[in-house]
Amino acid sequence: MIADVFAPAAPPVIELIDLRKVYRVGTELVYALRGVSLAIHENEYVAIMGQSGSGKSTLMNILGCLDVLTEGTYRLRGQDVSKLSQTKLARIRGRQIGFVFQSFELLGRTTALKNVELPLTYTRARHRRQRALEALRRVNLLDRAHHHPNQLSGGQKQRVAIARALAQQPALILADEPTGNLDSVTGAEIMTIFDSLYAEGQTIIVVTHEDDIARHCRRIIKLKDGQVLSDTGESRPPPAAGTGAAGQAQEAAAAP
Amino acid sequence: MKARTVLMSVLLFLPDRIGAIAGNVATALVQIWANKARSLLTVLGIIIAVTSIITVVSMVEGFGNYVTSFLRGLGTNMMVVYPEAMRGPRGEFLRQAEMTIEDIQAVDAHATAIRRTSPVIWNSATVEYGRQQLARVSLRGTNEFFQAIRNFYVDAGRFFGAVDVDSGAAVCVLGREVLRKLECDESVVGDYVHLDGQRFQVVGLLESKGSFMGENQDEMIVIPWTTAVKMYPYARKYLAFYVEAVRETEIPEAEGQLVRILRQRHGLRAGDRNDFGIFKQDQVLQEFHKIRVIATSVLAGIVSISLLVGGIGIMNVMLVSVTERTREIGLRKSVGAHRRDILLQFLTEAVVLSTVGGALGIALGYGISYVASLHPSMVPVKVPIWSVALALGFSASVGIFFGLIPAFKAAIIHPIDALRHE
Repeated sequence: MIADVFAPAAPPVIELIDLRKVYRVGTELVYALRGVSLAIHENEYVAIMGQSGSGKSTLMNILGCLDVLTEGTYRLRGQDVSKLSQTKLARIRGRQIGFVFQSFELLGRTTALKNVELPLTYTRARHRRQRALEALRRVNLLDRAHHHPNQLSGGQKQRVAIARALAQQPALILADEPTGNLDSVTGAEIMTIFDSLYAEGQTIIVVTHEDDIARHCRRIIKLKDGQVLSDTGESRPPPAAGTGAAGQAQEAAAAP
Repeated sequence: MKARTVLMSVLLFLPDRIGAIAGNVATALVQIWANKARSLLTVLGIIIAVTSIITVVSMVEGFGNYVTSFLRGLGTNMMVVYPEAMRGPRGEFLRQAEMTIEDIQAVDAHATAIRRTSPVIWNSATVEYGRQQLARVSLRGTNEFFQAIRNFYVDAGRFFGAVDVDSGAAVCVLGREVLRKLECDESVVGDYVHLDGQRFQVVGLLESKGSFMGENQDEMIVIPWTTAVKMYPYARKYLAFYVEAVRETEIPEAEGQLVRILRQRHGLRAGDRNDFGIFKQDQVLQEFHKIRVIATSVLAGIVSISLLVGGIGIMNVMLVSVTERTREIGLRKSVGAHRRDILLQFLTEAVVLSTVGGALGIALGYGISYVASLHPSMVPVKVPIWSVALALGFSASVGIFFGLIPAFKAAIIHPIDALRHE
């Protein structure tokens, strides 16, 4: 809808139209999402907040193409992904979405570098090693490339996980409580990394229930009972001139 | 042009596939190494199965080669006819059937498919030479055709001739093992030895043939049968004889002729059983074939049970592995793994596991065969390459078959549930 008004040159990264999700638990129907519509554009930095049961986990799963919706439309970079098969969703997850999880989810028996390469092996990308090293460099962890996860601190593990999310140069980074397992100092460090990635032009969505974390973001979407309660902050579609200028403007705005 | 495009895409695609499979194999090896004890117990069944295959096959093969080469050394158109021990309806011993030199001469004269015959008396004697004494040496009384019929020749001195046989001369031919045990060399030819106290002149030495089924063919002394009859008079009525057919293909004809002649001479009626036995090479082969069938069935039993046990073990441990690694599966799916990637990963792991078991079994089988072959009275064994291929094929198939269910279970896990798994 916003897209209609501004008629931008590029489609939004995410466009949800009247999204609904109904679960069946036993004989009971659970309405997890009841008509969510929103658009998230290139290089936005969004926090999705809400109490447990607000539908934020369901929304995240759908945004990450881990789950399918019941009704409505979901367009990812203009492509309708609402009714795709598991195989096609797996392909989209591999190429478009970089997940960052609360508990890191690193493979313990292999090095940080191999962990970062993992998404690239599934998409059979070329130059995996260089790309993985580049991703590690962006999270400032190049010197730990050949360490195993058990040799890394919690903050370092999460940085490896972020590098893994970056490796594929995804359209979107989707972080689910990324600081939930970290102390506040380390958590702040992780958020600084997200800040700098945002400054470099990355589109980021952080699902969180902490105000301190959400404060890093430029836009805060609050959910309640499966609907958008509030949508505050900057929601800027890129001007017709292109994303490069927008990125610079964003960088200026991001400066504290 | 189109074919070229297809070829190009295959060539570009293939390294990626190989890379993915190699990656899976590496992951699987890391996983197996991380759970060494568990993996070893899991593949115990496979190890037993493969070890059995390698050991039994190598021994049966070694034995088969041995029997075949022995029979070839025996002369391929040879039979042995001997008087049978007559038994009553309940298997009780009645009497020893008779066989005389006249019987043998009749066969020699009237059987057209038989080239020549040679009477044979088996006994054992004590040999004395100088101060050396050797008890219970196999003594064989026969005629001048022994060499040709048995394909067993002297390689020093001479064999005794027809004149020696006719006159019942006190001459003998020694086997190489007798020579060794008497601690003398070839200079014994022309010299005298004592056999059961009687003086014999050594005229020749037999070539070395090695042992067969624990019986050393070189520990043998050959004398004219007429001389042997003089030493052991009772043997006159119980002669056995070698028969040489004119050709290998004439053996059945030769057998038919000698059976007719002997039955007639022994006054047997239509319903009576032969009172003599005939030893033929295909009998040895049949006996050996029976042993081989038994060994193979026992092997098949052991192998199928232990492969089943091994397969179930692999399935079990893979199911545990899938459950343990549910979060890993969720993570892999969330970063883009397709179902078939996960399926392939776990299937590869099962196959690698079972193949590692197979490799251990092959090594163990080789070891056992080797140790067994060190025993002096053991036939030389060789592990045939096809049995190694068979064993590896079996173990890999077990991995595929029993890995399929766990791998499929892993592949269909929903990523959200997997990531929530504790």
